[in-house]
Amino acid sequence: MPKPIAQALSRRTATTPEASSIPYWAWLLPVMLVIGAFYIYPIIDALRLAFTDATLTGGAESYTVRSLQRVLSNPALPTILSNTAIFTAASVVGQQLLGLSVALLVVRGERHHLPGMLVLRTIVLAAWVVPGIANGVIWSMLFSESPFGAINGVLRLLELPTVAWLSNPANAMLSAIIANVWQGTAFSMIVLYAALKSVDPSLYEAAAVDGAPAWERFWFITLPQLKAAILVNSILITIQTLNTFDAILALTGGGPGRATEVLSLFAYNTVFYQFDLAGGSALSILLLLISLVLAALYMLFMPKRDM
Amino acid sequence: MVSRGGILANVATYAAAVLIAAFFLVPLTWLVSLALRTPQEIFFGASRFIPENPTLDNFGQVLRDRGFLNYLWNALKLSGLGALGSVIVAAPAAYAFSRFDFRGRGVMMMAILAVQMVSGLVILIPLYRYMGWLGLLETHVGVIAIYIAIGLPITVWLLKTAFDGVPIVLEEAAAIDGYGHFETFLRITLPLASPGMASALILNMILNWSQFLVPFIMLSRDAQWPISVAIYNYAGSTTASTTHLLAAACLITILPAILAFLLLQRAIVSALTAGAIKG
Repeated sequence: MPKPIAQALSRRTATTPEASSIPYWAWLLPVMLVIGAFYIYPIIDALRLAFTDATLTGGAESYTVRSLQRVLSNPALPTILSNTAIFTAASVVGQQLLGLSVALLVVRGERHHLPGMLVLRTIVLAAWVVPGIANGVIWSMLFSESPFGAINGVLRLLELPTVAWLSNPANAMLSAIIANVWQGTAFSMIVLYAALKSVDPSLYEAAAVDGAPAWERFWFITLPQLKAAILVNSILITIQTLNTFDAILALTGGGPGRATEVLSLFAYNTVFYQFDLAGGSALSILLLLISLVLAALYMLFMPKRDM
Repeated sequence: MVSRGGILANVATYAAAVLIAAFFLVPLTWLVSLALRTPQEIFFGASRFIPENPTLDNFGQVLRDRGFLNYLWNALKLSGLGALGSVIVAAPAAYAFSRFDFRGRGVMMMAILAVQMVSGLVILIPLYRYMGWLGLLETHVGVIAIYIAIGLPITVWLLKTAFDGVPIVLEEAAAIDGYGHFETFLRITLPLASPGMASALILNMILNWSQFLVPFIMLSRDAQWPISVAIYNYAGSTTASTTHLLAAACLITILPAILAFLLLQRAIVSALTAGAIKG
């Protein structure tokens, strides 16, 4: 059916009175109930708990700001926050760069009818469906400093010095970032691939007539056209990276020491190992606030016409 | 004819593609290599990349003696029922977003997407207590309920796209035949949108398969664990001399997800892409 007709039909139906014999909100009710019970109410409750002295083991709770003070004055917090910033920033930049590279390769391959590029896309996506916890287990086998560690094993074969991937604090952070980028790249690739496909081809034709070299076409046409997609994608993966810690848990457990302990893992440990429900709630609200602020910051850079 | 510059560029394309493919494939092939080794060969490291005496015994041992068959079943049950629940709860709302024109529709759809960004941890802390009060801690029902909620936002969006693709004239024909609106939705729209609904279901299952935090917090009894929790605990209990078993267990964990993805790659990629362009 031609699109305008379909749209006209849908508009007609939308305004026909008998079409809405069931009020629209009744259709939305199941989703609203679930979101209310599993998101809105828990978030409000987490906010409330942050101002109490609640523990996981139960018992009477009273309102106080002492839990909040204790959490915010914890001497470990600056380390945790800087770990979180490094891990998140490096993961986002790494995933976007690698995702953009794969997307560009696949699009170029399709345009020039190069076989095999779809295989590349499939391989990258396969890493994405690996559960985060398994991701940590797999990479711990690669980074392991025991005989079965793949990377050090290859280094030994090449008679090069081995690297303390997980037991040296600085390397452990790098290792965690590599494992995270390995898994997360596929998402960026898919988003940027879709954005690349929707760039108006006539822009490139005009540039080709002008004789612009490839890097100029990339810099002045492709990148500006991708700006909105890159920003939206950055919001999504920044928040995703802030929120997940299962790969880190399985790879390093946050260690050595606190070298790879990020905010979400810290909040988790506070609640479920120290049973400090109030402190953990405060930390999880802090996590939510950081997500919101970062999302708002990215939106500031959004091109106006795309909003 | 391809120009010389064109050939050079093609060579460069392939060189880059091979490097990137290697980065993504090496971890998985290393896992396979370890999973096929005998305990002795584990200690040969990278020099025995292709095992001399490959064996499938490790898989049998893990599935039989370590209870992984049960963990697989739990994971399938939790992710399947969770995905089904998400689709059922999301479908009416997705239909309304696709068909009705009401005030605040766009804002509500964005709000649902924003919900997706809330960390699982934020909601799990209070939910842990509710589930305790409701007696749903240590139960699969409690875990499935949370899976349904977590999968809901993306499912609403995926199903809206699927319903958008169903021609409205068919629904009008049903209305002329005297079908009520809800009956039309059940008998006409849902069956016609079944390919889109199936890919939403599978994508949800794959995402649920990866869930770790929810079952890890909610379930403490070994017999109830899904495979993600089992592999974490197993990794903590293994030593260097049982790495071949851990590798086999890990492969068993990821294979169902990868197979499901390979079978439905086209549908999943188009679903993600549709979401990406609109989002």
